[in-house]
Amino acid sequence: MARQIKLVAACGAGVNSSHQIKDAVEAEMKKRGHNVKCDAVMIKDVNEDLLNDYDAYLTIAKTDLAFTPKIPVVEAGPILYRIPAMAQPVYDEVEKICKKIEAE
Amino acid sequence: MLTATKKGLFADDAVFISSQSDKEAVIREVYQKLLDRGYVKGDFIEHILERENKYPTGIDTSPISKDLPNVAIPHTEGEFVNTRMIVPIELTHPIKFNNMIEPDKELDVKFLFMILNNDPEGQANILAQIMDFLNSTPVDQLTKLFNLKSTNEIYEFMADHFKQD
Repeated sequence: MARQIKLVAACGAGVNSSHQIKDAVEAEMKKRGHNVKCDAVMIKDVNEDLLNDYDAYLTIAKTDLAFTPKIPVVEAGPILYRIPAMAQPVYDEVEKICKKIEAE
Repeated sequence: MLTATKKGLFADDAVFISSQSDKEAVIREVYQKLLDRGYVKGDFIEHILERENKYPTGIDTSPISKDLPNVAIPHTEGEFVNTRMIVPIELTHPIKFNNMIEPDKELDVKFLFMILNNDPEGQANILAQIMDFLNSTPVDQLTKLFNLKSTNEIYEFMADHFKQD
């Protein structure tokens, strides 16, 4: 299997939204055959150092960061609705990142 | 707390109808009662208000149904609460909350599902369960819920209709 892809999801409290996105993305990427691990953190803990450990950053909202991340940023908020048609474009974007890394 | 009736994620003494007219006032009103009943800690209030201002929790329900009023899911970190539950709060007058996904947009919100969660890893995700509840309950039933006249009726509705894991 290709190397594990490390994602990080962030939300205000690091409790509910980020965990929901973590669970959903891990499950869907596994289903699509990718080896993905996603951590859930609080937005206030997101900085350049933290993001250095990850392949992509999943956000809930268009939150302004004080810096420009070097890794891909995916707006994952639509996943929260649990409506497949809304979640699919987000999953596709994450999968595109997975495939790119796996091809390296 | 000893006299509360509980079912799943709900307790009959943690359901509210508020006639406040702004989000800080309604959160403060509910906080005081949750504190008295031992569900949250004293520093809960400053943290939940700070979160709501920085990272709002309003949910635009129009993707679920155009006929459904908007909701919000105010919450804060697990260290400031003593339990894992959902606190339903009906708003007599719709109150403005900012949209979780597009924070610069305001929403008129009619009902709150305040999440108290001191165990985010442990069990099925509470927010996912709330969204599944909104997606799977017919709109006319939700509209009825959002306009019930007593907290006891709201408790009974949630205990009956909310799918528990």
